[in-house]
Amino acid sequence: YVYSRPPPWSDTLPTIFVITPTYSRPVQKAELTRLANTFLHVQNLHWVVVEDSPRRTNLVSNLLEKAGLNFTHLNVETPKSLKLGVTWIPSHTPRGTLQRNLGLHWLRDSFSNTAPPEGVVYFADDDNTYSLELFEEMRYTRRVSVWPVAFVGGLRYESPKVSPAGKVVGWKTVFDPNRPFAIDMAGFAVSIKLILEKPHASFKLEGVKGGYQETSLLKDLVTMDGLEPKAANCTKVLVWHTRTERPTLVNEGKRGFTDPRVEV
Amino acid sequence: NEELWVQSVLEMPKRRDILAIVLIVLPWTLLITVWHQSTIAPLLAVHKDDGGDSQRDLAAGLDSKEYCLSDRDIVEVVRTEYVYTRPPPWSDTLPTIHVVTPTYSRPVQKAELTRLANTLLHVPNLHWILVEDAQRRTPLITRLLRDTGLNYTHLNVETPRNYKLRGDMRDPRIPRGTMQRNLALRWLRETFNKNNSQPGIVYFADDDNTYSLELFEEMRSTRKVSVWPVAFVGGLRYEAPKVNAAGKVYGWKTVFDPHRPFAIDMAGFAVNLRLILQRSQAYFKLRGVKGGYQESSLLRELVTLSDLEPKAANCTKILVWHTRTEKPVLVNEGKKGFTDPNVEI
Repeated sequence: YVYSRPPPWSDTLPTIFVITPTYSRPVQKAELTRLANTFLHVQNLHWVVVEDSPRRTNLVSNLLEKAGLNFTHLNVETPKSLKLGVTWIPSHTPRGTLQRNLGLHWLRDSFSNTAPPEGVVYFADDDNTYSLELFEEMRYTRRVSVWPVAFVGGLRYESPKVSPAGKVVGWKTVFDPNRPFAIDMAGFAVSIKLILEKPHASFKLEGVKGGYQETSLLKDLVTMDGLEPKAANCTKVLVWHTRTERPTLVNEGKRGFTDPRVEV
Repeated sequence: NEELWVQSVLEMPKRRDILAIVLIVLPWTLLITVWHQSTIAPLLAVHKDDGGDSQRDLAAGLDSKEYCLSDRDIVEVVRTEYVYTRPPPWSDTLPTIHVVTPTYSRPVQKAELTRLANTLLHVPNLHWILVEDAQRRTPLITRLLRDTGLNYTHLNVETPRNYKLRGDMRDPRIPRGTMQRNLALRWLRETFNKNNSQPGIVYFADDDNTYSLELFEEMRSTRKVSVWPVAFVGGLRYEAPKVNAAGKVYGWKTVFDPHRPFAIDMAGFAVNLRLILQRSQAYFKLRGVKGGYQESSLLRELVTLSDLEPKAANCTKILVWHTRTEKPVLVNEGKKGFTDPNVEI
């Protein structure tokens, strides 16, 4: 017996397409490494990594090759005019939008002439934390499934409100609970079938108010009563919106102390 | 008719013999057929007892298709099966890696331990020693450890809060994690016999760092103390041991106090268990330790600079990152709390 990682592909299990936008910064390799370590446990997972860059970088290419995961490596650069930092504009392109849309585009392109596998699409940012249980919860999504997310909206967690009949009837949030979909990017998954059925559904690029990015996609896919609550009717937290501190590199000085050829 | 009757009486014992033979041979034939089929159907073979609590995934290298035996299939087949189990099956030949992780309760604790466990679950022969900074072992950790399927030991010791040495102007607080790491060292010394031959490596892994899988394989061959670079420490992209052409460590590439006996981060070294057991009084110093000297306080009792074994391609590759997680903003919980406190995060 030879230990295999990831688990062997199964012809009967629905596929989970995970779309991860990523960008270059000191902690990028660390984030992708520990994310890969999690994904390597999930059967039938296909990782779509979309770099915010003009070219696919060696760092990400090599990491993906070495990891052993099933992957697709894409890239699209967010134009400087749209990047965060132009703070006086109240509405802006939230980070990762172009990259997620490219991921959706790739999916639609890949299955334009072939029968798509059964499965789901999940947007997983590279600094969040995912339990293995989460992926099994989302695997059998018929249209759009939802669940709680920790550390968003200034709360321990935000969560859909689920009626005794098991239907989503609202949102347990403090920040703008009346949004059509008051849910974080990490809190839902969409069936491939639905993505292909609605080829024009994408994340809105411009003029999106803070907290409305998810709504900009979901409103074209589903209505609230069509949502499928997971994670024990949305009572368990299986994903955490963690954020990683920026490392202090003050001792590098002006000319740099460490060897720049050593990849970090 | 009489002749026929006598003939049939003479034949009856023969038929009984045949019946007896058939009744004996038939079950053996069936048994052999079924057993032979089972060496072709792969799923049955996966259920080996490996003595650990490994969670078996239903996946095996070959799908459970129908196999039809024909006369031509009676052939000896040696198959390599790619098996995924979580954690990997225990091996009799690999040294055990004892990973010592101090941990304390805060909002991101469960998230940190979850993603750390997801990494550790790939490493064969790993034993996780989780030490809580708490008065009692908490249900959160107890459940988490059990649910991972990892080989683990769950300990706890509470660091006294607000401890102040009278009149001492230096920061008298005990560096975080020290008592917990020391407790793990004591547990190892109480559990393993100096004379027994169970090979092991001890590694101190904080719960917010990031570890590559390659790192664990690098440390497995540690004879005394092995060292390697660590990213995001000392205000640098990484700190690394200085290694000469002969493959010996002769210094430290750091900006902060490179003249420390061991200018290395907690995540940058591993110690052979034998050495821990031999030097049974070697512990991390609790009090009066200058910032950055914690690691030296232990290592100077275990090894000299020239004894260090450089790993990670003679300390040129980064296999571990000293990442830190932001404290989440919980301002909307308000005074009385908005979310259900019974929901564990």
